[in-house]
Amino acid sequence: MGATEVVVRPRVVSPFQASLRVALRRMQVVWVGIRHSRTAMVGLAILVLFIGMAVFAPWLAPYGPIDRVADTSNCVPNISCPLSPPSAQHPLGISEEGSDIYSQVIWGSQISLIVGIFSAMVASVLGTAVGLVSGYMGGWVDEVMMRFNDVVLSVPWLVLMIIVAARIGTIDLLGLILVIGLTGWSITARVIRAQVLSVKERLFVERARMIGSSRSHILLRHIFPNAFPLIFANTILTVAVSILSEAVLAFLGLSIYNTVSWGKVINQAIGGGALVIGGNVWWVIVPGLCLVFLVFGFYLFGFALDEILNPRLRRR
Amino acid sequence: MARILKVMVRKVINAAITIFGIICLNYALLRLMPGDPALSLTPRDPKYQGLAEYNRELFGFDKPPWEQFVIYLQRTVTLDWGISYRLGLPVFDVLMRDLGWTLVLVGTSTVITIVIGMLVGSIAAQKRGKPFDLVSTATGIFLYGMPIFWLGFLLLATFEKGSIVGHYFTWWPALPSQGYYDDMLGQWAWDGAHLTSAAQHLILPALTLTLGTLAGISLVMRSSLIDVMTEDFVTTAKAKGLSDRQILRRHILPNGLPPMVALIALDLAFVIGGAYQVEVVFNYYGIGWETIQAIDNLDFPLLQFIIVVGGVAIVLANLVSDFILLLLDPRIKVS
Repeated sequence: MGATEVVVRPRVVSPFQASLRVALRRMQVVWVGIRHSRTAMVGLAILVLFIGMAVFAPWLAPYGPIDRVADTSNCVPNISCPLSPPSAQHPLGISEEGSDIYSQVIWGSQISLIVGIFSAMVASVLGTAVGLVSGYMGGWVDEVMMRFNDVVLSVPWLVLMIIVAARIGTIDLLGLILVIGLTGWSITARVIRAQVLSVKERLFVERARMIGSSRSHILLRHIFPNAFPLIFANTILTVAVSILSEAVLAFLGLSIYNTVSWGKVINQAIGGGALVIGGNVWWVIVPGLCLVFLVFGFYLFGFALDEILNPRLRRR
Repeated sequence: MARILKVMVRKVINAAITIFGIICLNYALLRLMPGDPALSLTPRDPKYQGLAEYNRELFGFDKPPWEQFVIYLQRTVTLDWGISYRLGLPVFDVLMRDLGWTLVLVGTSTVITIVIGMLVGSIAAQKRGKPFDLVSTATGIFLYGMPIFWLGFLLLATFEKGSIVGHYFTWWPALPSQGYYDDMLGQWAWDGAHLTSAAQHLILPALTLTLGTLAGISLVMRSSLIDVMTEDFVTTAKAKGLSDRQILRRHILPNGLPPMVALIALDLAFVIGGAYQVEVVFNYYGIGWETIQAIDNLDFPLLQFIIVVGGVAIVLANLVSDFILLLLDPRIKVS
């Protein structure tokens, strides 16, 4: 490599990149906090376990999510075709439609995680944008946005989602993510707005304003990086809420038709008589426990993160 | 005092704006969907024949959008909400009856939740880092993440008449789990038999809702109190030699409670979502159960106002909590 080949090129950094870089540096400090918090590590371990389950589902699950492993075509449900209880070959039994429930539970982790994570991202991006602008601009912009936020916060979304879905008929993965994401941003917006209001008054923002920095510069370079850890913690908590929303919607009958999620498995189990005497209680209990533990993992991690990031909660 | 009045008037105006916003959003979302609303809002059942035309006239579907909106607003404000397809009764009457039962359920469980949640939260905060705190916090987060409908089904399968547990142990209690009182008693009346039956039918749904929402209160109470405990004036109070009890009553609670009130109100939307699930699981005939029935029957007149009623209930609850907050927080009076 000759010396002449070394070209010093000024690195072009967009304001957004720079903003993100400062934010990531903050995150490194947070990672040290996570490593020292037992709660956060337990939460993280649970999350890694379930993410592994979702990623390796094609190898872990002996059958596909809606494969028929038993012939149920010529029997009347619950009457001439008793439910298959757990056996060595089918650890959780066979569903009314003839699917292997153990496989369905493993495949179900994919939908719960995908829907949970992506709708939380939609909600976080929207909520952060509204919170940042509303908190920083103040005045009538803030007033209008917060009134709209109040409306979104007060509408019983669960009902609206079901009504909309009932009219559209079916729902696909993208639709489900958008429905949960677009309705779940208002609490994030409030949290971020409160944070912006407090950061806005700090000295370094005052200084930046004095040397003539533009509003967008201050927002991206100073306020966003300072609010970023909080946004991150809040997103984790939103994932938990979104996973529960998906489960509730699936339980009420709104789910993607050609695959399974834990909520849908529970829905089918109830319909298939899992909880009557002589039924297969594991059909309800196992997918439910999976949901509980996954949400528990996200909450543990999120709350621990919140405690690390929010200095007032720290022990003095 | 004049200052408080001014703030209160502003809050009332804000609430009115929010309610108007909900009414508008409800209109937009239900009508901007593809297809002929008059047709898609009518069940495809021969017995509802002619209903499409009736609806077209009633809701003004053939008129331009702004005119439809005026008709809708007028009908909303005058409480002339039309007739439910399924029940053949005025929508307003149906919703008010259902709302009553939902309020009984939500009210009972909220009162229990607040009392137990605050107690557990404040003990946990005082014993921070001790076993009680760790166990109650972990249990809290665990319950917090539990899907309420799932919890409901487990309790149902455990305690209903003819439950799986009852099948093996004859002494196991069997609680009523369907409806809001025994159907054998006939029409509702304010007498002992009906009240006892209603109370018995309330146990399982209220227990489910309480367990499902308890953690929201106890966890927030805990962190809110810990927040106050790290303040300098608590250290000062300790240095003055006050007992823990005195510090809690005179210094920590007055400062830690206002954020709690705000959060209980915010939490209410979550509680109402939970009540929907509980009502479906236990066939408790409140607003949530009615919603599912209305969806199954495409009972549009009912559906379109269920959202308005739910939204208005949440806005009013928030307004009340704002007022309580104003009266509780001495700082707002002076600043």
